[in-house]
Amino acid sequence: MKFEKKRAATKQGIPTASMPDIIFMLLLFFMVATTLREQEVYVKFSLPEAQAIEKIENKRLISYIYVGKSGRIQIDDNIVPLKNVQEIMYRKRVALPNVIVSLRIDKNAKMGLITDIQQALRKADTRRINYSATLKQ
Amino acid sequence: MIIKKRSREGGEFSTASMADITFLLLLFFLVSTNIDVDTGIGLTLPEITDITNVAPLSKERLAAILINESGDVLLNKEIISIPQIRENLRARIRSKIDLPKNKKLVVSIKTDRNTNYNLYIQALDAIKGAYFDVRDEYALNHWGIKTHNPEKLTKQQFNELKEKIPIIISIAEPEKIK
Repeated sequence: MKFEKKRAATKQGIPTASMPDIIFMLLLFFMVATTLREQEVYVKFSLPEAQAIEKIENKRLISYIYVGKSGRIQIDDNIVPLKNVQEIMYRKRVALPNVIVSLRIDKNAKMGLITDIQQALRKADTRRINYSATLKQ
Repeated sequence: MIIKKRSREGGEFSTASMADITFLLLLFFLVSTNIDVDTGIGLTLPEITDITNVAPLSKERLAAILINESGDVLLNKEIISIPQIRENLRARIRSKIDLPKNKKLVVSIKTDRNTNYNLYIQALDAIKGAYFDVRDEYALNHWGIKTHNPEKLTKQQFNELKEKIPIIISIAEPEKIK
């Protein structure tokens, strides 16, 4: 007796028609999650380590101040002298009242400079700050 | 003369390569995305005030930390090492949980102009750590959750934590010497 193999009538193979849709979905997620506002950093710094650190919940409120090994200060895309910090930060504060200043300071910086920056921030009334630090393992 | 009309196939373009194109875009965004969150030690600076109208704090409330340029640390005029700060402050914060609002501990940090920034951050970290430890304990004893993370607590619980164990860190006015 001869057996005949049963074949499914439908075509085999996975339909790939919906693949672009799925990838589009992924693409959209990454497009939304990306912040392309990456700044170029002109100063060299390595952040200190700490344990009791918190996340900054709202990235849009952050404004960065970089202080490098050499003690130079960078705000946005410019190296600025200390005496201009207050004015620049005041302008930022007017544009965005609840701005959080993230201080990315090299761990070998001197406190004198940091104190001066903090005094400028206090005068500019941008008083919410965050000392940027990485998690100590 | 007879002109032959060429028969046309259906006017569609193939979508087979669409997936490839989208993959390419996807890869670009994957590579350029940085989802790392900013972490750090948060603080609110004090307002600018006249030094003349600052009332001195009682000794009982104040924990004054001084760091000099060679890295020696004083806590209330006694020499201490940075890892010991956490232990020391924890006990003092704990003893003040049930006191009224105007009797809570105030930690003040003062540094020399030549002090290393890293030392300052380590000291600040120890202070924050002490506060977080006590908040953790409080949460564990009252609600059985060992966390101070506001995301894991109800708003009411977090407010209670903030009220019972407020984090008061004062950055001393820089002195105008030298």
